[in-house]
Amino acid sequence: MGRTYLGEFEEIVLLTVGILYEDAYAVAITKEITKQSARPVNVSAVHKSLYRLEKKGMLKSKLSDPESKRGGKRKRLFMITPYGKTALDESMDLRTKMRNQIPDLAFKWDIR
Amino acid sequence: MLSNGTLDKVSKRINIPKIPHAFFKWYCKTEKYEELHGDLEEFYYEKVEEAGLTKARLFYIWNVIRCFQPYAWRIPESQNSTIIMFKNYFKTSYRSMMRHPLNSFINLFGLSAAIGVCVVGYAFIKYTFKIDQFHENRNEVYLTTFFADREGVEQQNGTTPTPFGAALKDDLESITKVTRLEDRKVVVKYDALKVFHESVSYVDPEFLEMFTFPLKWGSKKPLDDLNGIVLSEKMSEKYFGKEYSIGETVKLIFGPDNSKIFTVTGVAKEFPGARSFDFDFLINFENFRTSDPEYDLNDWSRFVDATFIQVNSSSNLQFVEERMEKYRQAQNEMQSDWHITSFAFEPLVTLFENSANIRGDVAGDGFMDLYNSSLSFIIIGFFVLVLAASNYINIAIVSAVKRLKEIGLRKVIGANRSMVIVQFLAENLMMMLIALSIGLALGASVFVPWLENTMSFDMDFTLNDRLLLIFLPSILLFTGLISGLYPAFYISKFQVANIFRGSFRVGKKNYLTRIFLGFQLLLACVIISVAVIFTQNTNYQLNRSWGYEKEQALFVKVPDRSAFDQLQSALVQDPNVLSIAGSSHHLGRSSINALLDFPERQYEVRQMSVDHNYFQTMGLQLKEGRFFEAHRKSDNETVVINETLASNLEDPIGATFKIDDNSFEVIGVVKDFHSYNFYSKIKPTIFRVSEPSDYKFLTLRVNSGSEDRAYEKLQSEWASLFPEIPFDGGYQEDVWGNFSEDIRDGDRFWRALALVVVSIAGLGLYGLVTLNVSGRSKEFSIRKVLGAELVNIFSNITRQYSLVFFLALAIAAPASYYLVALIFNIFFVYYMPLNYSFFIFSSGILVFVLLAVVGTQLRRLTRSNPVDGLKVE
Repeated sequence: MGRTYLGEFEEIVLLTVGILYEDAYAVAITKEITKQSARPVNVSAVHKSLYRLEKKGMLKSKLSDPESKRGGKRKRLFMITPYGKTALDESMDLRTKMRNQIPDLAFKWDIR
Repeated sequence: MLSNGTLDKVSKRINIPKIPHAFFKWYCKTEKYEELHGDLEEFYYEKVEEAGLTKARLFYIWNVIRCFQPYAWRIPESQNSTIIMFKNYFKTSYRSMMRHPLNSFINLFGLSAAIGVCVVGYAFIKYTFKIDQFHENRNEVYLTTFFADREGVEQQNGTTPTPFGAALKDDLESITKVTRLEDRKVVVKYDALKVFHESVSYVDPEFLEMFTFPLKWGSKKPLDDLNGIVLSEKMSEKYFGKEYSIGETVKLIFGPDNSKIFTVTGVAKEFPGARSFDFDFLINFENFRTSDPEYDLNDWSRFVDATFIQVNSSSNLQFVEERMEKYRQAQNEMQSDWHITSFAFEPLVTLFENSANIRGDVAGDGFMDLYNSSLSFIIIGFFVLVLAASNYINIAIVSAVKRLKEIGLRKVIGANRSMVIVQFLAENLMMMLIALSIGLALGASVFVPWLENTMSFDMDFTLNDRLLLIFLPSILLFTGLISGLYPAFYISKFQVANIFRGSFRVGKKNYLTRIFLGFQLLLACVIISVAVIFTQNTNYQLNRSWGYEKEQALFVKVPDRSAFDQLQSALVQDPNVLSIAGSSHHLGRSSINALLDFPERQYEVRQMSVDHNYFQTMGLQLKEGRFFEAHRKSDNETVVINETLASNLEDPIGATFKIDDNSFEVIGVVKDFHSYNFYSKIKPTIFRVSEPSDYKFLTLRVNSGSEDRAYEKLQSEWASLFPEIPFDGGYQEDVWGNFSEDIRDGDRFWRALALVVVSIAGLGLYGLVTLNVSGRSKEFSIRKVLGAELVNIFSNITRQYSLVFFLALAIAAPASYYLVALIFNIFFVYYMPLNYSFFIFSSGILVFVLLAVVGTQLRRLTRSNPVDGLKVE
């Protein structure tokens, strides 16, 4: 695979999977994102990103045991793969690197 | 969180909504159902706790809808393999297209250019049959016409006795609306600077209700006001610019000392392009009482340009038709010499189509020309499509050689013949879809505007057109089938064993390829020939004699006798002026119709009243007899006739006849001349002596080379003598207006078409030769190694095309000859004598194309190292 590409929302989902560690499944992720970013997220958007990230190889998944609160259904738990971590790091590095290159003067509006 | 026990109790109450659940189950992949629906259920139960049942249900439904996305969709098992198969087809098609960009370009270019041509044809045909169909009342509005005997033939006429309209409206209740229409030339003046001759239509106020010419600005009934005038958008812009012009005043000058101020009460919206008649200015019909006080509106022997009636239904029309006898009698009592046999009503919806049969109606006679052009467009569109399709077929067959292994492999894996056919048809379909979109864009954004620009009319073409949605797929189907079927069947026939043994030779001796090539060349040759002949004919038309000396002659329209005299005395001293003539009619501008009563029969002729100087001034040539002479009073009872009329008379000089019971004698015959352009046939014409009080035109002949000075002088004299009246005159050479431009439009069109066709055919030939040469690279390399000269290789390549070329050209020559003869007979009355000189040019172009194509390949061959050619694989 060549250049890794992460969409903004995908990146947030990837981060959330990491945060939730052993309990990263769609409902929990949706809630976590809503809580952290204070923006309303629908579960279907999370589904979409999760499956795409899995396809890209940045996540892997397994099914849990059945739970009664889900009507006796199993849930799919996601985990970050090493490739996912690289992609995440690269993305974060790029941002930090570029952010640091902005001269301080660019933020000193009162001088001009 | 609820414990297990409580959940069991409540679960019955808070059941998942059934219908959305079923929908979810239906679309969701079986293997993902558990995890996905688990998520939804978890949200649902939570929401029930938090916000209650109703909100939870709504939220659940919302989630089900949101999850209706590709990642969750079930792929029906039955279609699975088919989809994969087609995906594979498209992928291989795409790859082969990309691997041979030249072939793909040739195919795409040809097909899209052909489709572009078809789109133009479609737009043109649509325009032809759309004319006047924008009028909402087109089925209820009728033009009144009458039948009368003309030289033994029942002729339908589009004009109407003046009082007829008013009488109909007063007498018959079934007629809801009536409008009369009469166009007059009037001088319109605004400020001091804007003074022009204009055509003003006198109509009844109902005109604007009967016809759909909506107003851009102005009151509801702008013509109820006798002083109101309605302008077309074009005229409003001409006089007032883009400004709001309601309330502005213009002065209409009807004649010397007769004018009236009008207030603009309405401005019409831009007219639709597809219309057969419109207006520049509208004023109330009653204004005739001011502008022309002597015009008796109750005189049955006078005619207005048109009278339209509107009825509520066609059954009412029958009722109206049954009551026409009374008017026929009234009319025939007043006009005893020319009896009306019956009145008839022509619905607006078919008026334009039938207008060629109706004499002098407002819709004009353009329909047959448009209809014939539409037919030509159908034929042209068909042939260009076939041309592009044969390119496709040729290239598909010859390039199949490069895909033999692919086909062989498919067959080995288990594809049967029909699957290979489907594959190639799918490939063709993909190509066609791309070509269709390019062609549509090309047609709509390049070809249609070009044609509109050249022919200077607006076809109102839009892509928002339901008929187009039928037309385009049928083009797709037609071209797809003719271009795709044969290659698909041919290629699918290959035997696998032969392919892999390597003993398979394809396209080497394919006669069909040659037939297609021959057909393409034939078509290209015919269209180039037509273009060449049209260009030749244009030159011929521009140089054809008008039958009189149009050079050195100028003319100007004068309002009356005194104006004529003033202008004459101002010009007569000029040494450059050779002669001055006065006349009431003028060549290329006006004449009237007259009925000649010979003892044995009647002739309908054109009549022009002129003075004795006119013949010399216009350079008309005498064939026999004499012209009018000055101071010869008895000439008032004589006429000069043209050759066309003379050929109908046994002994023209001295023949006598009557016009309106006055006797006349023929004293001279003038050589035939074209009073109007070459589109109309020379009519039998007579010249009579004009009363000086009737002079409407002043004509002058000047020394050669002084035309421009004379023209300036004429204008400046005019401006100082008659500042109120716009100058209306000019060089006699310009009297036919746009004729020379019109005549050029034809060959512009054919040249553009020839360019398109030659590029399609040329590219096709290029593709064919390139494939052929590259397929024989080993052979040519060996030839080179063995010492073959360039000439040998050249003749080797061209040999296989020469017979096809020769045959195509041999058929094309007579074919184009007859085609052109056919087209000329339809569109022209006078055209150049046909000969075969065009053929040198068209065959030259095609031979040049062949040589150029072979030349590029030869160049490649001479530059290449024979070792590379032999090394292949």
